[in-house]
Amino acid sequence: MAASLSGLLKPWTPRVFLVRWSRYNPYYLEPEVRKEAYSQPESELSAEEKEQRELKMIRPIKAAASGVTSSVFSDPVLSKFINMMMEHGNKVLAREIMTQTLENIKKKQVEKYHKAPEGQKEEIECNPYTIFHQALKNCQPVVGLESIRKGGKIYQVPIPLSDKRRSFLAMKWLITECRDNKHRRTHMYEKLSQEVMSAFVHEGNVIRKKNELHKMAESNRAYAHYRWW
Amino acid sequence: MAAQGGVAFQEKVSRLVSRQNGKPVLKPSRALALGDTVSNRNPKKREATCITEISVLMACWKQNNFVDSLCCNETNAFYTCVAKAQAAMKNNSGQSNIQGGRLPPKQATILLKRYPNQRSEI
Repeated sequence: MAASLSGLLKPWTPRVFLVRWSRYNPYYLEPEVRKEAYSQPESELSAEEKEQRELKMIRPIKAAASGVTSSVFSDPVLSKFINMMMEHGNKVLAREIMTQTLENIKKKQVEKYHKAPEGQKEEIECNPYTIFHQALKNCQPVVGLESIRKGGKIYQVPIPLSDKRRSFLAMKWLITECRDNKHRRTHMYEKLSQEVMSAFVHEGNVIRKKNELHKMAESNRAYAHYRWW
Repeated sequence: MAAQGGVAFQEKVSRLVSRQNGKPVLKPSRALALGDTVSNRNPKKREATCITEISVLMACWKQNNFVDSLCCNETNAFYTCVAKAQAAMKNNSGQSNIQGGRLPPKQATILLKRYPNQRSEI
């Protein structure tokens, strides 16, 4: 539907351009931020990729968002997590908390590394980024529950979730658990690092919440036929 | 049909509604005109996809006391099944727009909204 409508729209810019909350004409294309995409000579999918490049030479392109970079250190998962932690637009504070969290994780792991005997030194993971990603993966639920009305009654039906939804739920649970269920005098980075480290080894409240969701879905498996998609 | 005999059709409708020849055949409660929207009815009864995969996964969970790392085969099978079902849904919805004698309700609404009923005189 949007594809057919954008075929009717001409490339135009409005006379008065709103600075905040600006919405682009669907005619505009997304920018390509990754450096690898520009260093590929001719060895991609020849038909589709070349068509895309031709199209990008003709059509106008949206301005890149300020949270997106082409540096090697940029991580979309991490950026999403920082945005979810941010309150009142205070990105500086959210990023600071995130860097402190990663630093804290690294400190604890390096401490463990130095205290461990020689045989166990290789097993200790010191890279905070891999620990963070693995912890998020461990927190992701596999199925979710949805309220479906059938015959006047509402049933909780187990449904498959999309990848985006699962990663969103993992991050959301992590943040809310750190905000609500911890001692109020600890810093956020301390709470987050504790929770991330315990999620890395399949312990902690977030993993428990995920398992409870799985148990509920398992107990309601008889209602799985109430889905229609 | 209606475009060819426009005036004759209107005359026939007014004869069916009038009370001059005895009881009127039609007693319309609403105006005899197309509305601006069509309701979104789902005529096909689709069934739930990937139920076998879900039940296999849940049996594995029950056996292993909900430890995820021991059920990774079943989990991957479930994810592949879900991806396939999503792709099939997308393909089917692309086909239903072309085939069939009627427009799907969403496309019909878009078409009707381009030529809405006149509510006030311009």
